[in-house]
Amino acid sequence: MSINRRDFLLKAGLGVGAVAANGFIPGLGYINAATAAELLDPLAPKQPHFPGKVKSVIWLHQNGAPSTIDLYDYKPELAKLAGQPVPASFLKGIKTSTQGGVNKLFYSNQRTFKQYGESGAWFSNLLPNLAQQADKIAFIKSSVTVGATHDISILKLNTGDLNPGRPSLGAWVNYALGSLNPDLPSYVVLYNGEQEPSAGSVNWSSGFLPAVYQGTAFRPSDSPILYLERPELRSADQQRASLDLLKQLNRLGGDRRPADTELRARLESYELADRMQRAAPEAVDLSKESEATLKLYGIDDPTSESYGKVLLRARRLVERGVRFVQVVSGYPGNVSDQERRSWDAHSDLDGNHATQARMVDKPIAGLLADLKTLGLLDSTLVVWASEFSRTPWGESGTGRDHNPWGYTQWIAGGGVKAGFTYGETDELGVQVADKDKAVDTYDLHATVLHLLGLDHLKTTFINNGRSERPTVVYGKVVKELLA
Amino acid sequence: MLVRKGVYIAVMLAVTSSVIGAETDSKPAPAAARAGVPNGWAYQPVKTPELPAVKQGKWVRTPIDAFVLARLEEKGIKPSPEADRATFIRRATLDAWGLLPTPEEVKAFVDDKSPNAHEKLVDRLLASHHFGERQARRWLDLARYADSSGFQNDATRPNNWRYRDYVIKAFNEDKPFDRFIKEQVAGDELWPESQEAKIATGFLGGYPDNANSRDLVQRKYQITTDITDTIGETFLASTTGCARCHNHKSDKLSQKEYFQLQAFFANTAFDQRRPLDKGTETAWDKKFAEQQAKYREATKEIRDKQAAILAPYKEAGIKYQKERYLTDSRESIFKPEKEWNALDRWVNFRHKSVFNADTDTAGYLRLTAENKDHADHTPDRITAWKEYQKLQAELRKFDNLRPLSGSVNITTAVELGTDSPPTFVRFGGIHERPTEEVQPGIPALWGGDKVSITPTANSSGRRSALAGWLASANNPLTARVYVNRVWSQYFDKGIVGTPADFGRAGEKPTHPELLDYLAGNFVKNGWSVKKLQREILLSSVYRQASDERQDVVKVDPKNELLAVYPRKRLEAEEIRDALLYASGQLTDVVGGPSVFPPIAKVLENGQADFDGNRQWTVSKDKADWNRRSIYIFSRRSLPYPLLQNFDPANPSQAHHKRDVTTTPLQALTLFNSDIVVNWSQALAGRIINEAGKDESAQLSRLYQILFAREPNKTEKAALKAFLAKEESVVQKKVAAGKFEAAVPTGLKDPSAINPVRGAAFVDLVHTVANSSDFAYRF
Repeated sequence: MSINRRDFLLKAGLGVGAVAANGFIPGLGYINAATAAELLDPLAPKQPHFPGKVKSVIWLHQNGAPSTIDLYDYKPELAKLAGQPVPASFLKGIKTSTQGGVNKLFYSNQRTFKQYGESGAWFSNLLPNLAQQADKIAFIKSSVTVGATHDISILKLNTGDLNPGRPSLGAWVNYALGSLNPDLPSYVVLYNGEQEPSAGSVNWSSGFLPAVYQGTAFRPSDSPILYLERPELRSADQQRASLDLLKQLNRLGGDRRPADTELRARLESYELADRMQRAAPEAVDLSKESEATLKLYGIDDPTSESYGKVLLRARRLVERGVRFVQVVSGYPGNVSDQERRSWDAHSDLDGNHATQARMVDKPIAGLLADLKTLGLLDSTLVVWASEFSRTPWGESGTGRDHNPWGYTQWIAGGGVKAGFTYGETDELGVQVADKDKAVDTYDLHATVLHLLGLDHLKTTFINNGRSERPTVVYGKVVKELLA
Repeated sequence: MLVRKGVYIAVMLAVTSSVIGAETDSKPAPAAARAGVPNGWAYQPVKTPELPAVKQGKWVRTPIDAFVLARLEEKGIKPSPEADRATFIRRATLDAWGLLPTPEEVKAFVDDKSPNAHEKLVDRLLASHHFGERQARRWLDLARYADSSGFQNDATRPNNWRYRDYVIKAFNEDKPFDRFIKEQVAGDELWPESQEAKIATGFLGGYPDNANSRDLVQRKYQITTDITDTIGETFLASTTGCARCHNHKSDKLSQKEYFQLQAFFANTAFDQRRPLDKGTETAWDKKFAEQQAKYREATKEIRDKQAAILAPYKEAGIKYQKERYLTDSRESIFKPEKEWNALDRWVNFRHKSVFNADTDTAGYLRLTAENKDHADHTPDRITAWKEYQKLQAELRKFDNLRPLSGSVNITTAVELGTDSPPTFVRFGGIHERPTEEVQPGIPALWGGDKVSITPTANSSGRRSALAGWLASANNPLTARVYVNRVWSQYFDKGIVGTPADFGRAGEKPTHPELLDYLAGNFVKNGWSVKKLQREILLSSVYRQASDERQDVVKVDPKNELLAVYPRKRLEAEEIRDALLYASGQLTDVVGGPSVFPPIAKVLENGQADFDGNRQWTVSKDKADWNRRSIYIFSRRSLPYPLLQNFDPANPSQAHHKRDVTTTPLQALTLFNSDIVVNWSQALAGRIINEAGKDESAQLSRLYQILFAREPNKTEKAALKAFLAKEESVVQKKVAAGKFEAAVPTGLKDPSAINPVRGAAFVDLVHTVANSSDFAYRF
């Protein structure tokens, strides 16, 4: 259950009680009692700029860049021109390489497309389950970004910049809205696969924001947070006794500085930690989930099992008030070392995407359906995002290269115009058709923030005297996507 | 709407200076304005201020005190009494060394009746190698120092520790700060014979990088941008970076001027494989070379076989690799060398430095072997690739022979000719939209000084010109910016609260005359960092007690006037180092290749970079596990977990200010980490060895070691009650059949203590080490 953090702190005697009617922060002075809890706690919940449509975001990063012309963006012309060179007119204004560059167009003979739902959205045969959720989704078929390598474009997807150093979107949300449940980190990163996603914490970094806003990576194990478990040789009783002594000592120290709220916050942080020690494993424990739910998330299929578990964890976290869950796709647990690949299909697109799509199809479909059933879809935003997508041509004849010039991403959930498609790519899926409708990373970020009740222009932080915002100096809310 | 804005600002200031609610990115920060300080104060020449007249003349030990006291007297506030000696030595040792004083050091200082006891202490602190280790850490924050390149591949930078050691040495030798700047910005140009000066350019070379970028021209722009912004913020406290995309909105800095600043670095490339000068090899280098030779010897046959397999595909593989670059990069790469212009030279040098004929050919072979539809596919490639892989598996068996850390090279900035590639203004900062070409120049805001650029034999001379200007005594910013950083290290907050922004959007100095006094004196004293710190450490301001004072709280709630010494939480490295040192486990070795202490099993090893270095392979030598934190390998994608929750520097960009946040994750780290438990065991053992069996003596010793004081009565009672209770808790475990508990380690006489009592004592030590009295310095 989620506790209102401010209530909690006040009850704990940290707000009005112990600090009398006022709180004092060294270097700041007296502030009024109403904000004492916030002063103690940088993650105290904060008001948005306007009422948000959603409370939480599940950000599904499809790592490695899926080919969206093989998933959502149906291109009959491509099928016709397969095997031929790319007409020069499609390449105007873009920088390409020779290898992996302007080769012959490729279209898989295994690919079929159909329209689904009342909205008639196109899905390929790679996503049969997600297709059933068509009417919950708003597609952005005119996504654009920058970069020819995953490195810089993944950074841009997460932080808005090509160089490391800026806060990730989740960190901004954490900073601007605070936490709804003090017993859990409010910005959590999940991944399937044995290793952390490459480039690691830079992708959930707090950048120039204080470190308290960074994402916390949850390990796939039952004990998801580093240092969560008490040391091997210490019993629960020993720990309790230690915590009691610690509280006593910290209180004695604190009494010498009655106005020092930072020291009080530190005292309290151990009690919070004690609760987190129980709350975090419980939040990721799937043992009480029903067979039907497990099945819904594809946990009964070895290919989708690991991703399904991760998404079910995501749902449980959102249920418990976690603000931002960033899910990085990995690889299924049942593949050989050689097959441990992301969506990055430079060759054998059919094989690669068959596996990757099967890995995510049921889990994401299950997540959307489950959120709906639980009444959480209205307060949650689910985002399908990727660093870029793939070209209609490929260096090898069976795969595709990187395409940052026009591709599909989607959003679903509260405040979203469901069953809607915005923008389109040209007839071959190379570039956006209408540049005015191009949706860059900044626009996607601005739109996500808007749904959370945040104006991206007003969500600012002074870094070295410079007022910074999540969208750098760019970004516009894509109003057409809003219900 | 938001919470009332004023209140909100206060809320976030608790964490750092920040605000929600500013309208656009251009709106200046709410500066804590001080009446009478004009805009653009930072660009005025440094004045020699007159010492203000003060009433309590006796309090003044150095001119610093006069400036601080004058403002206190204006407000009618008395300074705080002097901190007791034990508190002072703990504070000063933590500030100067990042470590705790030993009980013997505390006692010697407390008992020192001589009139210059403080001077002796401070001189001892400044003379120790620990001084350089601590000061260097702060400088490395600014140099965005890391041992890896960042981005997905996050390649190991095997030479970077040499730059780290250079910085430690510079502080320990009290290298004049102007020379320190020049070496870091243009060491290769100014002292081409000096290896040390070349290593110093590692300051510039610390930019995050992705070796597999396919757009080298854009990469060059990103690297130059990083360097320019780092220089602007670090030396000039100017947010120059703003002016890359648009004219600066609060400071008079045009986009054109920004790119003129970039132009100083237009011809700068980096050589990461410059062999060490003969005869300069350290013991580590020799060990590395030896180990590498062993590895090569053991694997020669395998590698030769691999080379033979690759040989027939090499030409095609290299061509393939080159063709993967984007349009303008390719133009340079495929241009005959005699036609190269300055940009082509840069691109090709870069290409050469990231290109590896063997691994790139192997990648090509794999692609054309596995993909039967590839135009270059031939059946023989399938066999060749299989054979190659088999050998690769063989090779991996020798991984434990590979040297883990170190190199036989240095990294240095280098220029490839006297002429520079052109620098263009970029519309909106966007690389693809160059407009007007510009020449190097100093922005008018900073005086617009004409700097004369004289090319050297094979270098443009541009950086030398910039370095000379930066390190000039007439530059109004450089000295002010640095003394402010040092001040903020000792007093938590700078005289200017925004150490990286002295512009209009930054805060105004609380004591402008003091800032000028310190800056002027710093230059007069030959830019001596030690003299600067000595004066601060010996000031009456620094000696004050940090006890809360209600009278100050009312008149000066932000404590800007420093009537009270500001207490502060220890920085990430201080927490680890101090505890490690207290436990008696610290391996006190200065310098050398970075080390890998154990981390959570799930994070160990990890993916390999292009050179086959794993992310985190734990150091074999256990002594390396207990080195100071500055020597721990700084991997950008995997910050050392024990430090990560305590607001360490983020090496992505110059890091100016250590935030203080308080979170349950910190509590979990200190309370549950096995490493902290191990140190507690060792500290418990040390205490028993030193204090003997007597319980009271043990408790005293613990408090002396960690807090430089005795436990008071209440504390002692609480500790004793805990021991009794904990002993019975542990005893119950024993009764249940198994004795599993952390006991004191390193005991001289293992029979000296009953293990149950010992386990309870370890828990006590561990708990006390978790307390705020340890995590703060007062």
